[in-house]
Amino acid sequence: MKTRRTFMVLAFLAVATLLLSPVSLAEEKSFTVGISLPLTGPEAKFGEMKKQAYEMAAQEINSRGGVKGLKIVYDIQDSGAKPETATSIVEKFITINKYPLIVGEYTSQCSYAVAGVAEKYKVPYLVDTGAADKITQQGWKYVYRLNPPSSLYGAGLFTFFEQVAKPQSIALLYENTDFGTSTSKAMQVYCEKKGIKVVLSEGYQAGAVDFKPILQKVKSLRPDIVYMVSYLMDASLLMRQSKELDINPKAFVGGAAGFTLPEFLENAADASEYVMSATLWTPQVKYPGAKEFAENYQKKTGKAPSYHGAEAYATTYVIADVLKRTKSHSPEDLRAALAATDMMTAFGPVKFISFDQFTNQNSMDTLVLQVIKKKYETVWPKSAASGDFVFPFPRWRDRK
Amino acid sequence: MTKTTLLWALPAVAILLIPALTQNPYLLHMLILVLMWVVLGQSWNLLGGYTGQVSFGHAAFFGIGAYTTGILVKLGLSPAAAWSGLLVGGLAAMVVASVIGWICFRLRGPYFALSVLALSEVLRLVALNWNRLTNGAEGILFIPAFTSKAAYYYIVLAIAVACFLAIRRVMGSRLGYYFLAIREDQDCAESLGIDTTRYKLYSLLVSSFFTGVAGSFYMNYMGFIDPGIVFSIENISIMMILVVMLGGAGTMWGPAVGAVIYILMSEVFRVFVKRGHLVFFGVLIIVIIIWFPNGVVGTIGEWRARRKAQATPAPEGA
Amino acid sequence: MSGQVAGQLELLLQTIISGVLLGGLYSLIGLGMSLIMGVMKIINLAHGELMMVAMYVTFWCFTLAGLDPYLSVLIAFPLLFLLGVAVQKFLIAPVMEVESILPENQVLLTVGIGLVLSNLALLAFSADYRSVPVSYASKAIYWDLSLGGQTLSLSFSVPMMVAFGIALVLGASLFLFLGRTDLGRMIRATAQDKRAAALMGINTKRITYVTFGLGSALVGAAGSLLVPVYYVFPQIGGPFTLKAFIITVLGGMGNIPGAVLGGVVLGLAESLGSVYVSLGYKDAIGFVIFVLVLIFLPKGILGKGSA
Repeated sequence: MKTRRTFMVLAFLAVATLLLSPVSLAEEKSFTVGISLPLTGPEAKFGEMKKQAYEMAAQEINSRGGVKGLKIVYDIQDSGAKPETATSIVEKFITINKYPLIVGEYTSQCSYAVAGVAEKYKVPYLVDTGAADKITQQGWKYVYRLNPPSSLYGAGLFTFFEQVAKPQSIALLYENTDFGTSTSKAMQVYCEKKGIKVVLSEGYQAGAVDFKPILQKVKSLRPDIVYMVSYLMDASLLMRQSKELDINPKAFVGGAAGFTLPEFLENAADASEYVMSATLWTPQVKYPGAKEFAENYQKKTGKAPSYHGAEAYATTYVIADVLKRTKSHSPEDLRAALAATDMMTAFGPVKFISFDQFTNQNSMDTLVLQVIKKKYETVWPKSAASGDFVFPFPRWRDRK
Repeated sequence: MTKTTLLWALPAVAILLIPALTQNPYLLHMLILVLMWVVLGQSWNLLGGYTGQVSFGHAAFFGIGAYTTGILVKLGLSPAAAWSGLLVGGLAAMVVASVIGWICFRLRGPYFALSVLALSEVLRLVALNWNRLTNGAEGILFIPAFTSKAAYYYIVLAIAVACFLAIRRVMGSRLGYYFLAIREDQDCAESLGIDTTRYKLYSLLVSSFFTGVAGSFYMNYMGFIDPGIVFSIENISIMMILVVMLGGAGTMWGPAVGAVIYILMSEVFRVFVKRGHLVFFGVLIIVIIIWFPNGVVGTIGEWRARRKAQATPAPEGA
Repeated sequence: MSGQVAGQLELLLQTIISGVLLGGLYSLIGLGMSLIMGVMKIINLAHGELMMVAMYVTFWCFTLAGLDPYLSVLIAFPLLFLLGVAVQKFLIAPVMEVESILPENQVLLTVGIGLVLSNLALLAFSADYRSVPVSYASKAIYWDLSLGGQTLSLSFSVPMMVAFGIALVLGASLFLFLGRTDLGRMIRATAQDKRAAALMGINTKRITYVTFGLGSALVGAAGSLLVPVYYVFPQIGGPFTLKAFIITVLGGMGNIPGAVLGGVVLGLAESLGSVYVSLGYKDAIGFVIFVLVLIFLPKGILGKGSA
């Protein structure tokens, strides 16, 4: 009984200290940035990938003496992909830790929640993965986004369709998440505009075991293109089961995410061959530093990086650049410096502009990649290509 | 002033003054969450703890409350007027609850618990797929009416107090005895002439109303909902049970104590343990269930009763 | 027969085939829960997490020792049996003995156990999605059926058929075990009336250990069989726990043939639903059937009592 009571007392004391003392982790000669990331829960994998990349970049910069003698320090906290928790983390970052700059998050939901907090407290927040259009459509002054919004993920794909594929019909399968629905909606709008017939458009719950019934339906509709926006493992299952059912459209095309990760090649194995996908970044892009990043990341984690890692890596360099230019470390000056960013990173050019309904949004070309001989090659646009595309795909039964 | 009123008045004043004493938004955010969970715990406790009808799907009512407000906003209600969602959301949750109750109260024990869970999942899928009404997975967002946390603090405090008083009132009335009778032995209650289905439904209606109000408050406070968040089994339905069981099912103060433990412990573990913090949270649940089977409040009550029994010597010992 | 009709027929037949085969896998997940709920009347929300443990066992057996997932059933099954016995003996049984206002305390306990298991897995194995690249993962047997001048091409997934076969074998052995052996009879007696069983000299406490162990072992076997066609990550459990509930209720608690049939019904409902209703509402169909069965056929679709 005594131990129990002691435990409760200790717990209470721990909480009290936590709440009452405005602890600052920042030591002298360092600049601390608050990061909220999902490190538990179903999105933990992506949080982990980004964490590795953030830390790698910070290490690189710090080992070269930091920025103006300042070391970049990250305070990374786990949001578990819950907006409620992300909010409380960032509230604490801003009001207790007094961090003048916030980055991170993975899901659109959490990024959006964090953006709302940052805007409220007038502290700049750099979004680097959350893709839902709405995040930079609020006219918010303190929210900046490095990655393109989800409706533009497919931009590279659209030109490929127009110049090469010229499809007549398309089937859309997408995971029922914010990212999945908005990406596929963008494709649907595009197809309707161009007169491409959408024969099927269905959302599914991520994590299903068996896609065969719906794939069989796709097969019976004989579309030219099967476009899928999927979570990591769903992508593998969709392709494995398409192979099994012997579905032969002219191309299987993925909408980034699950189709661009090295695990996709591993898990889908033969079934991944020739699959194309929209992507924001590949290790072969010709941006300076991209190749080195890919190699170092591979060395550190044993895996090739996806665009998620590149985003986090580039974000760190943007922060370094902002620190170099900012007048002071006040949120206001940091925001001004962030707004004036115009630089090249391993992820691509970064410059925050306003266009269409977007504000403070980085605009960049998106690419198309294809799996060729079990490796990702960039195949479109031609100017960035590392290999030639194969289109239309050979039929499953004709492959060796 | 008597000693007991003072004992009550002091903490009450302290609670009222908190926002005046601290402007710390992080602390206020934590307290707001605690109070919201007090409301959720109280509501679940009325149906589960007092009436004995354990529901695994109370997220259904939370989600309905949140979505009612969200849809009102989507239809063009101003953020300030969205507060009317508190009432509308609570009522909508009651309507849904009467349907769910009508279906599920034919079932008992685990069957009842699971059927409510199933229906709450169905509601989640409807919210996910009925794009035109709910925006589907994209969720509904709006810019909340207030920027100061103090306003939210007082609103949720008022809800919590109202909920507490309402439930205390109910439990003090004849209704409360019926509820307890149903929990202790449904067949027996029925043979005494209690229309158990009707009274179970009453209990559910009150419970769902406050859950819906809490859901609506969540929407107003967070400014963003999507189906996965508000209809979550793990993060809402199960956690409501957890809050009550931790604090003490069938006690007036149990849910409040449970809410404090839940929010503080998850925050402490998250901040201090970092990697693997949920392991500790899981262990905490196991430890509490094994050592405090009736929750903290319930078990302390038992200790007190035992001590009292020891203090007054038994007749034969005299 | 016109081409279009043939196409529709092919779609229907293939959907049914996929549904039934998926159902076999589901049956296996449901068997363990049906046994536990039937005998012990408890709700185990850590069911999916136990399956996750078995899936990691299978994954590591394959990765480290090159053991085929189907062979690793032989390791996962006893291992999960021991885990189940331990969980029952040291955690659930003590809680079930203490008096509490709500018997549902043990449900929350299983929530805690599930949290611990899935987050230990997260710590130990990271959040990575793992799968075993077996050669037969997307292998299928094709059957070209000639019908009225049209050819219908149907495919039967090999790993799914194997899983289905093993589910039937395990279901049948369990049925025989419960019906023909002394231990099985004791389990059934405990299920019917625990106190009477205790009065007859059955050590009901030990029976509950065995039952929980067996239930865990069965879902462990399901996990092993799922690995070739699916993947594993720490948070995989939740949705499968829900499916197990649906199957258990469809079949009637503790009803072994019922659980097998329940799994097939759920698999079929999901498949047909995703083609003919809507992919988005696929899972809702399972839940609706679940509630309907609870209300109208409270003893399950076979209408018989428990084990």
